[in-house]
Amino acid sequence: MVALAGLLCAVISASPAEGLAIQCAKILTMNAEDAVHAPGMVWIEDGAISYVGGVRDVPAGWTLLEEDEMWAMPGMVDLHTHIHSGGFADTNDMVHSVNPELRAHPALRPANRLVKLACSSGVTCLLGIPGSGTNMSGFGVLYKTKTSGSFEEVVWKRVGGLKVAQDSNPARRAGTEGWGNCRASMGWTLEDVAGKALGARREGRKDPALESLEKVMHRELPVLIHTAGSEGVVNTARMWSRKYDTQCVISHGSFDGWKAASAIAEWGVPVNHGPRTMDYFSSRNGRLNGTGAEYDTAGVPLFSLNTDSSVIPQEEFFLQGAMTARLGGDPYRMLRALTIHPAESFGLAERVGSLEVGKDADVVLYDGDPLDTRTRVIRVWIDGEMQFDREASQAFF
Amino acid sequence: MIRFQARLVLALVALALAPALPALGAAAPSDDAGAAPEKEEPKDRYLVVVGADIHTGKGEVLRDGRLLAKNGKIVAIGYDDFEVPGLDYDREVPAEERGYELEIIDASNVPNGRVYPGMVAFSTSGLLGGGGDYRDSIDMFNRNMLLGLASGITTTGQSSSTAKLKRYVPNSAARDYDFDGVVIAGKTLSTVSWGSAASKRSLREKLSGAAAYLRAYRQWQIDVKKDKELKEPSKSGVDSTMLSVLRGETLARFSADYQDDLSGIAKIAMEYGFRPVISGCREGWVVADELGRAGAMAVLTPRTRRAKDEQLMAAGGSSIENAAILHSHGVQIAIIPGSRGIDLGGIAGRDIMHLPIEVGFAIRGGLPEDAGLASVTTVPARLLGVSHRVGTLEVGKDCDLIVTDGDLLHYQTFVQYTVVDGDLVYDKQDELYFAHIRPRDDSLLAPLVPFDPAEVPIEEEESEGDSEEEEAEEE
Amino acid sequence: MKKRTTHLLLFAGLMALQPTAQADDLFAVQVERAETVSHGTIEHAVILIEGDKIVMIGEDLPIDIGIPVIDKDPGWVATPALVNPYSRMGLSSRGPSGLNPQRKVSGELYTGDISKSVLEAGVGTVGLYPAGTGIPGRAVAVRTWGSGDARILRDDVYMKAMMRSDSSSKKTWRKGFEEADEHKEKEAKNREKWEKDREKLEKDAKDKDDAEKANKAKEELKKPYVPLTPKPAAAAFMSLRDGELTALIGISKSSDYIHFLDALGEEDVQWSLHVPISRESDLFHVKGQETLKGRHVIMTPAFSYHPGTLRRRSMAAEFVEAGAHVAFVPTSDSTSAHESWLRDVGQLVRAGLDPHAALRGMTLSGAEVLRVEEHVGSLDEGKHANILFFDGDPFAATTSLEAVLMEGDFITGEVNR
Repeated sequence: MVALAGLLCAVISASPAEGLAIQCAKILTMNAEDAVHAPGMVWIEDGAISYVGGVRDVPAGWTLLEEDEMWAMPGMVDLHTHIHSGGFADTNDMVHSVNPELRAHPALRPANRLVKLACSSGVTCLLGIPGSGTNMSGFGVLYKTKTSGSFEEVVWKRVGGLKVAQDSNPARRAGTEGWGNCRASMGWTLEDVAGKALGARREGRKDPALESLEKVMHRELPVLIHTAGSEGVVNTARMWSRKYDTQCVISHGSFDGWKAASAIAEWGVPVNHGPRTMDYFSSRNGRLNGTGAEYDTAGVPLFSLNTDSSVIPQEEFFLQGAMTARLGGDPYRMLRALTIHPAESFGLAERVGSLEVGKDADVVLYDGDPLDTRTRVIRVWIDGEMQFDREASQAFF
Repeated sequence: MIRFQARLVLALVALALAPALPALGAAAPSDDAGAAPEKEEPKDRYLVVVGADIHTGKGEVLRDGRLLAKNGKIVAIGYDDFEVPGLDYDREVPAEERGYELEIIDASNVPNGRVYPGMVAFSTSGLLGGGGDYRDSIDMFNRNMLLGLASGITTTGQSSSTAKLKRYVPNSAARDYDFDGVVIAGKTLSTVSWGSAASKRSLREKLSGAAAYLRAYRQWQIDVKKDKELKEPSKSGVDSTMLSVLRGETLARFSADYQDDLSGIAKIAMEYGFRPVISGCREGWVVADELGRAGAMAVLTPRTRRAKDEQLMAAGGSSIENAAILHSHGVQIAIIPGSRGIDLGGIAGRDIMHLPIEVGFAIRGGLPEDAGLASVTTVPARLLGVSHRVGTLEVGKDCDLIVTDGDLLHYQTFVQYTVVDGDLVYDKQDELYFAHIRPRDDSLLAPLVPFDPAEVPIEEEESEGDSEEEEAEEE
Repeated sequence: MKKRTTHLLLFAGLMALQPTAQADDLFAVQVERAETVSHGTIEHAVILIEGDKIVMIGEDLPIDIGIPVIDKDPGWVATPALVNPYSRMGLSSRGPSGLNPQRKVSGELYTGDISKSVLEAGVGTVGLYPAGTGIPGRAVAVRTWGSGDARILRDDVYMKAMMRSDSSSKKTWRKGFEEADEHKEKEAKNREKWEKDREKLEKDAKDKDDAEKANKAKEELKKPYVPLTPKPAAAAFMSLRDGELTALIGISKSSDYIHFLDALGEEDVQWSLHVPISRESDLFHVKGQETLKGRHVIMTPAFSYHPGTLRRRSMAAEFVEAGAHVAFVPTSDSTSAHESWLRDVGQLVRAGLDPHAALRGMTLSGAEVLRVEEHVGSLDEGKHANILFFDGDPFAATTSLEAVLMEGDFITGEVNR
């Protein structure tokens, strides 16, 4: 890796006193109106966005960055990642099959090498979650991909959301009481612990181990559920959206899971798709199915993509969008699937996912279409601070 | 299958195909068209590509150019109207009335249609089916071969030979399969071990032995003219592999990633005067000047990621700019993805089906686009010893080409047609794999567009048509 | 059951028969319908059987007084007994590799019975193929009853050759012909030498000076030419060339077939194909090949899926449509596979396979592969009386096999004469 030490040598940041205005050829806001300003401007004040729109006069004393060839887009948000510890280590406790008491944040290594790479590719916000070897492996940590900073400076939410695994991996019978090697027993295991959490709140019992799960069961925290295949997807949606009214997001939904897309679209369950974005063997229609494209066109709300990093390197998150667009998806919709959709589906849209006034100034400058492999990320700001500058730090991605 | 639009009228301006004319004209059309128990003279095979921009792979682009192939070889590229003997562009002559085979690829049904040379994958696995001698083991119906063709690959190195992706041409039951056309080159690369100190020492010994022999041999060639009795120097103890490398008969192929190793290879190559081929070459960008001076050629994967050795003071590790930096120092680059086979497991964009995606990452790192195209055409063709036949679209070369629906390196671009040795072997709309993705207008899967005559300004369309024709004539 | 004894037998061919002999050996069967396989369907058919042979078959034949008549009603359908041309029933699966065309399965036969259930399922003839890879030997056609050599219907019925898309199987095949060529060359040289010697002997025979030498030469001249004995492989491939032997080519996918044609080259030999029907067979690629028209193709009655899909394909129907003679074999050598054989083929019929081609595929086509079509495989005068009696359409799910007649004897079925 090119020396990362030089990364911050020419930081252009918005100091509290004066703002920063970025002017570029095209601003993809990813807001609800799908506004694109070409050319346009983003103003950054106090780490937040204070203006997005057409070019206008910049207040005196501000720094004006004229990038007339560049495109600006909100930083990308990935909900299914495992790079917070700097590798695949320390992700899954395999003793018990349900662990509602565990949290991933103690494993976080701020600004580790993989996180820096992620930043340099325009990914700014990650949910670092435990693995899927057991049915309920704990709570993920929500953090920014700042290339430097302490734990407190990078972490947004220590308890970002629950990770549940309901198909494939946990069926390998992990955990001492892990007799859950089929859908029926995994279902029972999960309903059992969910019932305990609901009961604890109902009866006013204080159970520290169930505290966070109680919040999940009452829509106070979101839950990301690892599941796959059409039956698994329906099974998961039925439990977490119909039986329990949780803020759930289906993750993976791989193989022929897309065949259940219209059913779960009706139920309004969001899907966070990846790392597989194609299916040939399970769908059995002779096609190389663009599974992401199928979910999106079937009307699944807030369809988003993931890398399951490091299954796919975090810095190739954009490629998940490119590949889905290749296999039938709409390229612009895929940009939403990398930004505002994951943010909204996990209740993060008040701060990230789009370039809108009041949101965190997580802004990425590209020299072209963000989905094109040939396009370079030129600069990345997180919370208004420039975290990556290609010119200053050499390109390492 | 004739893809031909009636409105495309080509004036029959002759292109030098005259020798073929009398024979074809005389061919009796209907008598031997039916069951053919006796072995017939094989009919001439013509292939015409029209309606797309032709990227020859040598830098030229012929906007809306035309290409003609005969019996698997390109015979003309240009703007001229080709006269194919007996072909009447004004009417469709039934196949059975022709004394020859004709395939017309009219790419005007492909939006933003482009013609590129078929890609050359330096190394693949599983595309040809069997193993060993591909002449006797190729699976010409193999799914992976078809997916390779669908990805634009027409030639590949496998094991120690270079082979074409010779699919059994659909509906060609009457014609024998071209077994002899499968393997187009034998071993052109000699794998050289460059790892332990012992292997490095041993290589040096072999090279110096081979060099000493060559010197002695050259001296003998001079001396023997004076003294006819003089004995030829003995080859015993001389390493034949290194001898073939020094004689330029094969290329020495190293696998190395670390800068010390790469630097060592550059030195030994310059010392003994051969051009090394280096697979991996991860830290090549650190010693690019040395590699460039040694005339090295690199086979690399731009997405290779490895952190630098923390104990190393100097720069190191992988760099997205590796290909670009090496290229700028004169190192020829061939690109292959991390996975050499067809991966249908669902993780998209990392296998041999995505050569252009891999090239895109090199361009992201600064490699010029033409060098990017060369990295999957001319450079691997050179390394595999087949650059005289494939890698570019030139008269006299094999007619291996692809027709894409746009810039080859764009992520949404698909191969619409693939031609190998002048045979149309892949049509996106004819195979299940990709036909459903952005189907062509002529496909049964194409969405129905309601036709409203009121929306068509008749006069304008006519005038447009006229001007197009005028332009065509001027050219 | 009623007996009809009032008709006169009018056919000249039978007039010669001794009335006394008729009582034991001669009987007739009347059925609603007979599927002859060789010459179509006969309604209201009468089949006259003498000893182990069919002597006559026709529509509403008058039957002579005194000939016992079996007449089931209503609606019996007669078909030829079934022929399974490709089996290792009762034999071990071990075999050699490489070029061994001289090996004979007939040498492996032992006295044990084939399961009676196979016979009762209506299978009368089985072709036992040699186990092994490459070219492991020659098959034998046997009856499904009896023991030892008495079971053999015909030996050396086909030489089995496995063909895969690889150098070694193509080499094995080519090597056979090379050995035949070498032998031919040696033979020609030997003959040439013999003729030269003869010229010398003729000269010697005319030698008037040395009478003893002349006489000796005269004696030598009387000896005929003795051809060289070919090596086993050479002999087999020579008989393949002159049509004495046929080959059964075992392939597993389409490319094997194209490689076989390459290995065969210009050689003019008789051959059939054996193809397994796998879940995702790719054999549809070659069904249109000119060389498959009229060719016998052995396969199991199974469906496959178009690769990568759930689109069911019937290779049998597709090959029949393309002009090949499909010969069916049960899905395995087990008794149960033989018992469900008709039902399995019936599935293909219900999915569109021509029922006549289906029945031919279970009878005559297999007999032709085994080159015993003069004896079995169809209902014809002079052939073995191997007949099955069904209470309806043989392929209908509700039909049952009522009686099995093999070489004139009822194996199953309550039959009163």
